[in-house]
Amino acid sequence: MELNKEKIKKSGINPRLAGVLTALFFLCLGFFILWQRYHILVKAEEREMSTIVNIVKQDIDQSLKNSYSAALSLALLINDDGEIGNFEAVAPKILEGNPNIDGLQLVPGGVIRKVYPYQENKEALDYNILQDPSRNKEALRAIKMRKMYFAGPFELRQGGMAVVGRLPVFIRDEFWGFSAVIIKMDHLIHLDRIEDMVKDKYYYQFSKVDITTGEEFNYFPKFSKGNTSYSEVVELPDGDWKFYLATQDQSYLLLSLIPLALLIILLSFWFGWSMTSILKQPLKLQALVKAQAGKLLESELNFRTIFNQAAIGMVRVDTLTGKFIQSNKRYIELLGYTEEELMAMDYKDISYPEDVGINSIRMRQLLNGEIREYSLQKRLVRKDGSLLWIKVTVSPLWQKGEQPTSHIALIEDISDKMQAQEELIHNEKRFRALVENSEEVICIFTQKGQTFYFSPAIERVSGYTESEIRELNLISLMHPDDLDYINAQMEISINTPMVPVSGIACRARHKDGTWKWIEITITNLLEDPAIGGFVANFKDITLRKEVEINLNKSYQLVMDQNRRFLNFSYIVSHNLRSHSSNIEAILTLYHSADSAEEKVTYIELLSKVSTALNQTLMDLNEVVSIQNNIDLSVEPLSVLSYVNQTLDLLEVQVKNKEAVIKKDIPKEMVVVFNSAYLESVLLNFLSNALRYSSSKRIPEISLKGYKLEDKWILEIMDNGVGIDLKRYGDKLFGLYKTFTNKSGSRGVGLFITKNQIDAMGGQVNVESELGIGTTFKISFK
Amino acid sequence: MKKSICVIDDDMIYQLIIGKIISRSGYFHKPLFYKNATKALADFKSLETELPQVILLDINMPQMDGWQFLEALIKERPNLDSETDIYIVTSSIAHSDRLKASTYKQVSGFLSKPITVSKIKEMGVRLK
Repeated sequence: MELNKEKIKKSGINPRLAGVLTALFFLCLGFFILWQRYHILVKAEEREMSTIVNIVKQDIDQSLKNSYSAALSLALLINDDGEIGNFEAVAPKILEGNPNIDGLQLVPGGVIRKVYPYQENKEALDYNILQDPSRNKEALRAIKMRKMYFAGPFELRQGGMAVVGRLPVFIRDEFWGFSAVIIKMDHLIHLDRIEDMVKDKYYYQFSKVDITTGEEFNYFPKFSKGNTSYSEVVELPDGDWKFYLATQDQSYLLLSLIPLALLIILLSFWFGWSMTSILKQPLKLQALVKAQAGKLLESELNFRTIFNQAAIGMVRVDTLTGKFIQSNKRYIELLGYTEEELMAMDYKDISYPEDVGINSIRMRQLLNGEIREYSLQKRLVRKDGSLLWIKVTVSPLWQKGEQPTSHIALIEDISDKMQAQEELIHNEKRFRALVENSEEVICIFTQKGQTFYFSPAIERVSGYTESEIRELNLISLMHPDDLDYINAQMEISINTPMVPVSGIACRARHKDGTWKWIEITITNLLEDPAIGGFVANFKDITLRKEVEINLNKSYQLVMDQNRRFLNFSYIVSHNLRSHSSNIEAILTLYHSADSAEEKVTYIELLSKVSTALNQTLMDLNEVVSIQNNIDLSVEPLSVLSYVNQTLDLLEVQVKNKEAVIKKDIPKEMVVVFNSAYLESVLLNFLSNALRYSSSKRIPEISLKGYKLEDKWILEIMDNGVGIDLKRYGDKLFGLYKTFTNKSGSRGVGLFITKNQIDAMGGQVNVESELGIGTTFKISFK
Repeated sequence: MKKSICVIDDDMIYQLIIGKIISRSGYFHKPLFYKNATKALADFKSLETELPQVILLDINMPQMDGWQFLEALIKERPNLDSETDIYIVTSSIAHSDRLKASTYKQVSGFLSKPITVSKIKEMGVRLK
């Protein structure tokens, strides 16, 4: 590189000097051409001037020739005797033929004798030219030269500037006089025509040379020889005249060349500069090459450093043989082979046998030019035999279209990633197994109830296979009564994303048509891109729910029982205590009695208490027997026949009260009941109806049997005194509760009746209004 | 000066007994008996009627029980607590009844049967 630079320097031309020289050369050449050009212009001008001068000369010559012929014609009027012929007749004709001529004269002996036109020239008549010293020189010269000579120009006697051509006439060699022609200056020199030709470019001058002194008299102003650079002269010997034509100033020619000169200077400089640049080009290129070389060196160094120090393995491989050519430290470290060992191997030697196939295919594609690079994940076998998961990225080191040479492979250790991935797959499998084997169903569904995942447990719970249930809308499987509740829970879930809404117990229809209780936990994972729906876990809680319901029933039953027992124990304690306290009080009184009579009274009282106590004990016994008889024998009984039987027993009372009995009981009304209880129940209600009849009207008792929702109902309606249910409703069926002032009502009947019905699993309700009547409704199990 | 007393109780035997006990005590006139609270209420609800100085009231009675009678009478006579001493006298030993009685300022005492002569004497002494 350095050598090259020297060469260029030695080849010797300093670009700047070459530029200056070039500029000078072109400047000289330019100015030479300019000089030539100037000369051509000058020559052209000279030619033009000469032409003009010639034209002027020709014009004057023509005028003079005409004048000569005119003067000659006029001279011919003179005969040999010197007498003038018919001047007046001929002169006009001559003038007519020569428009340039302004006047004719015949001057015999130097005295103007004949003039034409007369009027204009009469002033000159009789003027002796030869006698006038100011004019005779020229006249004498004509005589002396014996040829026509033009005098003037001068101021005519008769007025106006003109020249006078005088032809000396000799008769027999004897001077006779002159035949003269007057030409006014206007007709001699056609100024307008000259002006037209010269314009402002030239000066012109017309002068007369004094024959004797040689002096020149100029006739036009604006002309002096001093300030002319060039002039053209024509001499007119017939009058000793000279006509000059001169350029006013030739500098304008130079001025006209200034733009061209400037252009030449500019071009010269440009050529000079161009030359410099051209010559400098190699130097620039050289500098560029040097810079590039530096960069190349640097990048090579960088590359070498990267190659060796890179955190990923790098290896250069001969593409055709697969042999390693160059390896970096990392690659050696990864494999555990030494560099020498590695250089003797090819890529197949260290590839895991299963992975060689795909690698070979890719390599072939690379060789064929089908692909320009590839990367794949494969396993390598380390020197110690262990496997290494790597990601290899291969790039060829030849250009497209070139013969394959070698390629570079970048090797990334992805063992950790692969391990993580394997773990992920393992975890996924584990979770899947958990989900799929779980008793709980997991499903993912959209807000509209469409499902896109069900765990296999769905078949156990719903009876539908996964594909069957996906065709169904979940809502259609829900119990209609639970829909509002489910929707409310869904609303909560929609409003609380990511928060599980649990414990949603509802009924869903099994494929076999039965309703199953399920408990659902819904989690709104709409915002989770991996789910994009609601996740519902649910399980069949039918058994639990049934147990719960049964438990609840049992609880109700037990509570009911308990309440009854509490009531009973209260009654027992109260009733028995009232008797015992009475006994106690009587005994106290007895002991402190003053007299024997008084003591007898107390004994009598005591026996009354004893009777009452006995009665109470009997009542309680009856109650207890009902409460205890859980396993009482039951049988189907015809209600109608039992009603009839009971009415027979009450025949006397019915008669006494003159009561009207109405029966509307179907024969098929058969209930499962204990026979003694049914008798007791019917007797109680009917005797009550009779006992509490109103004295204001005829007692009327109607019995009606009918079926309501698969249950037999027996209605016993009377028009008796009625019961104030607001006051006594809660006590109606209580023990020892009486609601009338009638004697004989002990408050035991309804209590026992109710217990008997309860024991048979039935129910009894009452509707009543004071003074109108009472209706008892017995509902049989 | 003997005081007036009234017994409301449906137990006829008890009425006989309490009558003896009250006369033994010597503080009261022969008591006014009601076996039915409805009847007693009908007699007492008029403000013009002067109440007995002591009322012994049973709880467990048919038709209208002691509590109902008390409520109704309080409604009729707003100043009941200054007009008479009402004692609940019952064979009940239920604690709930005793508690309920204590919520009425109109109730001067809660007594379990049997009642002794000394208890009646205390009532008499208290009136003096």
